[in-house]
Amino acid sequence: MAAFAATAGGLLRLRAAGSEGQWRRLRGAGLLRGLLQPESATGVAAQRRRVAHFTFQPDPEPREYGQTQKMNLFQAITSALDNSLAKDPTAVIFGEDVAFGGVFRCTVGLRDKYGKDRVFNTPLCEQGIVGFGIGIAVTGATAIAEIQFADYIFPAFDQIVNEAAKYRYRSGDLFNCGSLTIRAPWGCVGHGALYHSQSPEAFFAHCPGIKVVVPRSPFQAKGLLLSCIEDKNPCIFFEPKILYRAAVEQVPVEPYNVPLSQAEVIQEGSDVTLVAWGTQVHVIREVAAMAQEKLGVSCEVIDLRTILPWDVDTVCKSVIKTGRLLISHEAPLTGGFASEISSTVQRRCPECV
Amino acid sequence: MKKMLAAAVSRVLSRVAQKPASRVLVASCNYSNDAMFEIKKCDLYRLEEGPPVTTVLTREDGLKYYRMMQTIRRMELKADQLYKQKFIRGFCHLCDGQEACCVGLEAGINPTDHVITSYRAHGLCYTRGLSVRSILAELTGRRGGCAKGKGGSMHMYVKNFYGGNGIVGAQGQIAEAFNMAALWKLPCVFICENNLYGMGTAAERAAASTDYYKRGHFIPGLRVDGMDVLCVREATKFAADYCRSEKGPIVMELQTYRYHGHSMSDPGISYRTRQEIQNVRSKSDPIMLLKDRMVNSKLATIEEFKEIDVEVRKEIDDAAHFAITDPEPPLEELGHHIYCDNEPFEVRGSSQWIKFKSLS
Repeated sequence: MAAFAATAGGLLRLRAAGSEGQWRRLRGAGLLRGLLQPESATGVAAQRRRVAHFTFQPDPEPREYGQTQKMNLFQAITSALDNSLAKDPTAVIFGEDVAFGGVFRCTVGLRDKYGKDRVFNTPLCEQGIVGFGIGIAVTGATAIAEIQFADYIFPAFDQIVNEAAKYRYRSGDLFNCGSLTIRAPWGCVGHGALYHSQSPEAFFAHCPGIKVVVPRSPFQAKGLLLSCIEDKNPCIFFEPKILYRAAVEQVPVEPYNVPLSQAEVIQEGSDVTLVAWGTQVHVIREVAAMAQEKLGVSCEVIDLRTILPWDVDTVCKSVIKTGRLLISHEAPLTGGFASEISSTVQRRCPECV
Repeated sequence: MKKMLAAAVSRVLSRVAQKPASRVLVASCNYSNDAMFEIKKCDLYRLEEGPPVTTVLTREDGLKYYRMMQTIRRMELKADQLYKQKFIRGFCHLCDGQEACCVGLEAGINPTDHVITSYRAHGLCYTRGLSVRSILAELTGRRGGCAKGKGGSMHMYVKNFYGGNGIVGAQGQIAEAFNMAALWKLPCVFICENNLYGMGTAAERAAASTDYYKRGHFIPGLRVDGMDVLCVREATKFAADYCRSEKGPIVMELQTYRYHGHSMSDPGISYRTRQEIQNVRSKSDPIMLLKDRMVNSKLATIEEFKEIDVEVRKEIDDAAHFAITDPEPPLEELGHHIYCDNEPFEVRGSSQWIKFKSLS
């Protein structure tokens, strides 16, 4: 439901931006309304049930990183963490319940392999987890903190925004907590309700000094997580929880990096640019396929990957080519990250949109 | 006869040593090298034994502590003056009255131990190794400051000293920190400089229990007389040894007092009386206590202290002059070090035509 609301909102925003012509044609055709609603809900105006639906679309097997293995998202995360702990003797993983493997099994086997000094539980205190992580990172060790659900990250908000993000700046580069990475399960899962479904990336996008990353698939997740861990700035890595089991792909066993702050153009197109991140990328890919099939509209699909600092150039280059932009995200509409993207694009490419 | 002899000796010695004659004369007469003092017993919580109730102070150490405390006192008063002359802007939290806390702390720990504190940090900055020059220049926001002029009063850092922090922890954060420290037996001394007021609120009106040394609950604690530098030194040594012997964390409450208000924008008399401040100044001033002790036990003379005062005053005046005349950091530096190793990106200034480059 959130997905479709956001999509509709994105379209409305685009309309408000003043690109009237193409939209009038599409609306006039009546196909747009049909496009937006799931097929099971046609007809009855009053009680339409909107279901969060998507199909995970795996990427082709990567050839350039050596041997690959079939992994789902949580296994890809475990593999990334395993690689990190093997490569970096100062790396430690901590959080609630990580010792036995974690509530999403992301840390299974790591404590047995690396010892209880490197993979350990913390008490139930998010503020303490992040504060402790900052302290470890300042001493130079690599700290990988897990917040059990992104919904619980708010007690740690002060530590992240006021301490972690500003540590380097306020000490004039004398100290830093760059080796801190915070991981948290993110996004809707269907049955999560208020406190197991949130997408808080927009809150953190407002804070210079940290990096915020959301992968769409196991291959992307492992590469992005390794990049976050190795990055010398504190990073927050949101893992779409609905993809933990549902997303299965061939993922390289050896470590590799996917660059941060680079959006990926997944599918080239010429009529409209669609931007999304996390689970929504798969919804958008379906939308692109439907648009091509039913309306003959060629969509360029971009996965933003890093929310902060985001890849302005790739998105703007695409909008200059297509002239239209639609951004779709799970988080609430007002003040959601789409507003930042759309206002930046409108400022940078005023003639196009 | 003795007088004539003394005068002759002093003439000879002063020519030889090129020191003021009176000093040389005194040096050849009566001073002791060290003395034993009684210090106040600390209140203990969950501890069988506490720090010793007597301690030995050597002349050298005594003069060192006096010099450090006097330097901090004069530095804070100079900062007060500079603030009123508008050379220092923004926030300025002064710690005069609390000198014994930082000097005693430094005396009880190793230079390789790590210290972190909140905003009333100028004294600790000095004891941890920053020069008065770099502190005052940082306060006036000049490039000779320890944080290159970008940090100001609350953001001063040096090796093994993590600030100077503008943002303060709340009770929840402290509770979590206590829990984790005790759970994992972290060697951490939690120090509360209890100056009786939280900004403008008296401790009794803000805390359900003002026995802060007991607030660690499952963590042992000490309550220490924070106006006596020797008491603080012994208590710190005791606490540091406790942690070093892997017994876990410990809480230390230093009972102290600040003469100034919470910050420069607080006159400091709307929530307490001038009489109260005056009382503390006349009865428990840390510098006065140390000086009296040393003079009474003949560790040093009043003249020596006066000399130290003169030297300190000169040092502070030089530093203040530097702090006023040093140029400000270049404006381009405003955007530096937001991120590390990122490609330089543009940071918007206070208007859309002002751009800084973020380099790291």
